[in-house]
Amino acid sequence: MGVGKDKKGSLQVNLGKQKSKNTIIKEETISSQSNKEKVNNSEEPEHHQEEEEEEIASDSESDYQELSDYEDEDYESSGGSESGESNSSGDEGSIDTDNDDGMDSEDQSNDSESDKVAEESDSSEDEVAPRNTIGDVPLKWYEDEKHIGYDITGKKITKKERQDKLESFLASADDSENWRKIYDEYNDEVVELTKEEIKVIRRLVKGKAPHLDFDPYPTYSDWFKWDAKHPLSNAPEPKRRFTPSKWEAKMVVKYVRAIRKGLLKFDKPKEEPRFHLLWGGDSGSAEKAAHLSYIPAPKPKLPGHEESYNPSLEYIPTQEEINSYQLMDEEDRPKFIPKRYTSLRSIPAYENAVKDSFERCLDLYLCPRVRKKRINIDPKSLKPKLPSRKDLKPYPVTCYLEYKGHNGAVMSISTEASGQWIASGSTDGTVRVWEVETGRCLKIWEFGEAVQCVAWSPLHELPILAISVGQDVFVLNTGLGNEVVQKKVKELLHVEMSTPADDSGNKSSSLSWVQDEKHEGIKLRHFRTVSAVEWHRKGDYFCTVMPAGESKAVLIHQLSKKLTQRLPFKLHGLPVSSVFHPTRSVFFVATKKNVRVYDLLKHKLIKKLETGLREVSSIAVHPAGDNVIVGSKEGKLCWFDMDLSSKPYKILKYVIFLKFLNFQILLDQYYFSLINFL
Amino acid sequence: MTRKIKHYRPPGKKKEGNAARFITRSQAVKQLQCSLTLFRKLCILKGIFPREPKKKVKGNHHTYYHVKDIAYLQHEPLLEKFREIRAYQRKIKKALAKKDNDQAIRLQTRQPAPSYDGAILQRYPKFVDALRDLDDCLTMVHLFAVLPASERLKIEVECIHNCRRLSHEWQAYIVRTHKLRKVFVSVKGIYYQAEVEGQKITWLTPHAMQQVLPDDVNYSVMLTFLELYQNLLGFVNFRLYHLINVEYPPILDPQLEALAAGLYALSRYIDARSSMSVEEPKASSSSLPDQFRSQVEVTENEESEIRLAQLQHQLPTNEPGALMHLVQDAEGEDEDDEDTKECKKLFRNMKFFLSREVPRESLLFVIPAFGGVVSWDGDGAPFKEAEQSITHQIVDRPTQGHKYLSREYVQPQWIYDCINARIILPTEAYLVGRIPPPHLSPFVDNEVEGYVPDYAETIKRLQAAARNEVLPILGVGKEDLDDPQNLLVEGYISRTEAIEAAERKQKMEDLEKQHHEELKMELQNLHSSPVSKKIKKSPVKDTESKEESRTDLQQFIEDNERRETLLMPRKKRGLYEAIKKNKERKNAHVNKLKERKKAIEARKSDKN
Repeated sequence: MGVGKDKKGSLQVNLGKQKSKNTIIKEETISSQSNKEKVNNSEEPEHHQEEEEEEIASDSESDYQELSDYEDEDYESSGGSESGESNSSGDEGSIDTDNDDGMDSEDQSNDSESDKVAEESDSSEDEVAPRNTIGDVPLKWYEDEKHIGYDITGKKITKKERQDKLESFLASADDSENWRKIYDEYNDEVVELTKEEIKVIRRLVKGKAPHLDFDPYPTYSDWFKWDAKHPLSNAPEPKRRFTPSKWEAKMVVKYVRAIRKGLLKFDKPKEEPRFHLLWGGDSGSAEKAAHLSYIPAPKPKLPGHEESYNPSLEYIPTQEEINSYQLMDEEDRPKFIPKRYTSLRSIPAYENAVKDSFERCLDLYLCPRVRKKRINIDPKSLKPKLPSRKDLKPYPVTCYLEYKGHNGAVMSISTEASGQWIASGSTDGTVRVWEVETGRCLKIWEFGEAVQCVAWSPLHELPILAISVGQDVFVLNTGLGNEVVQKKVKELLHVEMSTPADDSGNKSSSLSWVQDEKHEGIKLRHFRTVSAVEWHRKGDYFCTVMPAGESKAVLIHQLSKKLTQRLPFKLHGLPVSSVFHPTRSVFFVATKKNVRVYDLLKHKLIKKLETGLREVSSIAVHPAGDNVIVGSKEGKLCWFDMDLSSKPYKILKYVIFLKFLNFQILLDQYYFSLINFL
Repeated sequence: MTRKIKHYRPPGKKKEGNAARFITRSQAVKQLQCSLTLFRKLCILKGIFPREPKKKVKGNHHTYYHVKDIAYLQHEPLLEKFREIRAYQRKIKKALAKKDNDQAIRLQTRQPAPSYDGAILQRYPKFVDALRDLDDCLTMVHLFAVLPASERLKIEVECIHNCRRLSHEWQAYIVRTHKLRKVFVSVKGIYYQAEVEGQKITWLTPHAMQQVLPDDVNYSVMLTFLELYQNLLGFVNFRLYHLINVEYPPILDPQLEALAAGLYALSRYIDARSSMSVEEPKASSSSLPDQFRSQVEVTENEESEIRLAQLQHQLPTNEPGALMHLVQDAEGEDEDDEDTKECKKLFRNMKFFLSREVPRESLLFVIPAFGGVVSWDGDGAPFKEAEQSITHQIVDRPTQGHKYLSREYVQPQWIYDCINARIILPTEAYLVGRIPPPHLSPFVDNEVEGYVPDYAETIKRLQAAARNEVLPILGVGKEDLDDPQNLLVEGYISRTEAIEAAERKQKMEDLEKQHHEELKMELQNLHSSPVSKKIKKSPVKDTESKEESRTDLQQFIEDNERRETLLMPRKKRGLYEAIKKNKERKNAHVNKLKERKKAIEARKSDKN
């Protein structure tokens, strides 16, 4: 059995080849077994076979225990065999244990085998007398000599005769112990290694300590502890060792005092119930703390259908919509995209749970809170209650008459005091007088320049028309009325040729009253373009406005005396229009932003009306004199009540450009009539 | 006369206006002589928030606090307490640095702790105030009850346990008093709404899953909030338990608690306690309820046994269930409002069994709150799956292998939908393996929103049927009207669709007609009334004017509208426009929903 395996040449070869552990074990088990055969020669030959098998098992087991690095499979197989063996007869088991002991502890000398090995080694040292003593010298020097060195007495030690290879091979083939034989060059002999020596070698090869007893990781025992029983010096114990410490005593006193005072407590603090009835009687604690009003935080928004785990299908956006969210601005992007799970078990954890909660916390303590009125009103209630149009009736709905004849835009119209006639001035340079009821054109004057303003004299018995054309103002005889009237008018409109001389002494030297034969009237030559003409209620005075006239921008003319005077006030801003008060001697001058009201008798500024408009274009006074409206070019109309403040009572907005305003009295109700000529 | 410097204030003159009333945050911190973190903590605990002054004197990028708020903080005992704690911590640190371990340990055992009852009482002078502000508190506590403890983030295990306990206590109260009103399962978690003392309290509990702790969150702020909320909820629970005569820190059966059935243990405790207190005056004729007996079997705990011994002592005769009824009846007569009664009766005479996979915590809370009896698959359950009297088994799996014929196997959504609808819905759509109908939010007023989902309509109809009313169904024949319940049970979905379509059509027509009539009326008034006032016009002319009016009707309306908007003041116009815009947005949303629905239906019909 296994003889072939034994023939492996020397041990060196085995170790050098790094044979698999398995084979080595086998070899060893076999060898050990064969050793035992020698030992147990006395035992009965019948049992021999069984024994061998058991031996194998036991050996392998013991090897495992000692070397403890065999592979698991080996262990298992051997374990299996071991268990099988333990079931077998007891006497053999006892033998096994003996063997194991011998293997485990090399010191035990009671084992016969180990004894024998030891004897061998001893005897070899004693018997082989001539030991080589050449010292640490290369053996190469003795290669050609017949001796290999010298023994202790100085005699030469001759070399033994070498076997040739064939012989040595045959010898090794015969001898099963051959693998553990080593040739010692130095002594020129063959040494057989004992089992223990091989074990030591194996351990060394594995990088372990050679001896089994050696414990690489001993438990550390500190021999030099401070309370060691071994005093370092022989000096006698000092006295202080026997007297109580002063400082300790002090400390103790300190502690005692602290404990007595209750500063130091050693017992655990008592667990008090954390909660109690905080809101005992609600009425008792009802009074509010004298503190600022507490605004409770708004509650978080309640979830809608789309937040459901299983919303209706229409709440789930399509893929295109989800893609389109990516293109959106981050703020507009919906924060929550509805998703559908078909069963409750498939809902995953919501990953933003903690974050949402945190954001809520931040809102609660970092956001300023403002109490805001909830807008829960019907939007219709915001709209002003306007009188329906039918209540405003009658107002012109249909076009009743058209006065056709002008070629250019009509800049201004004016009605005669009796209401029978109407005069109109146009950019085509003509002034026409129409009969209101029939639409017949009564008279035409041609000036060749755009007519800015037309104004009838307020007196019924004096049918005179004042017109501003460019830099001129004409006072015209319309030729209406009977002869008495005509005579009176003609008398009034007659200018002495000496007036220019009179003027020289007067305030406005740049102005001349000239008889205009062509148009049968008076022509007043101004030095700047005249924008507006307005009559005084008595029909004797009229005022003209020259926006570019600076200090002489507003002039007041007296028709009966053919006199002109400057308005004796400083004007702030560009005058636009001016009006006489209908009953009192009060004069309104509208500049671009404000309206100034002067008392002509007292020579005093009465009031300044602040319109707040950008560009005032016109002004009109109510016939009773207590209401004023001011129109502007941006389409706003300010309504002032003269008895109230200087701020507008109401501002109305129109889409159109306000050019010309007039008050009308109609059925005891007052309306503004807005006339727009463009 | 020289012009004054705009912000010049003569020396010695006090500040006025916004400059005097508001200070910035850094000024406030300086005034309080504390660190910013402490200031934040105080603000959180005392509920002090920044204000928005009309004129920001120091600039736009500052946070402003009211001076009075800060003065109020300055006299706060909590501030003093926190200073004390800080000083104490220093002592400990010093002892440790000196390696005086005894001292350090001694100091650590008696650390001062702030008490929040004063702050809470000041913030919520009345109990109702506390209830009003309880939403955030409950949400936070419920969230932390499922969070993992983390040493790094200083989320302690005790804190988590405390949150869990508090949330169970709250839920147990709600269950006991049947105050739960609405439940909504959303992606974010489960929303519950209860009505306690007339206050609607809504809170969100996360789904029972492993929660992730994100890093971009300041946990110290959250923990400060949580500290306050834990105390608040503790006091609120105390008061609530006091109201139902139960001793507050309830002693629970640790075994049941360990089985994650803390709520069940708690509700049993409450049942026992409150019944005891009611029982005491009339101890002679009563009984030991079923549940108590089962408790005897289950519990080995000493405390509970003592308690039970007491109970048994008090309840000599055995008349199972009688006591419970007695208690319930007494309560029902006394205090419950209509809603509570309705809620209590919803699942009466029904026995539920929960399978392993359904969210047990939620259902154990919800079903008893609506009067049902419930058990679950696992240890400590009051009854087993094999029990014959079970009427419904809640199952959330694709297929159910073994089925008892005596019970219905429904998905958990059925429970929630029943609760929101307040009726027992037919179970067909919710059976095992089917995709349940959409789960709708009970918090939405569909009419206001302008869009009613199909299923909401269905539920409405079912509710009406349950009330034995017959809704006027338009566009459906008479035979349908005769027995709506039959039909409803059979195939309600398709029918409702048809009904809805017909109804919508009818509604639209009606609306149109109405609109036209209104317009006509208006026009008549406008055009003919002045005439009719003065001169009685002939009817022929009247009709003429009508016809005329119809042609430029649109024009007229537009004109009128423009006239009105023109005369509006600027402020009101802005508001008006905002409202209009809002309405438009809402309409756009509704239109989108309708569009999607149409598309879905079209797809369906294509497939068919």
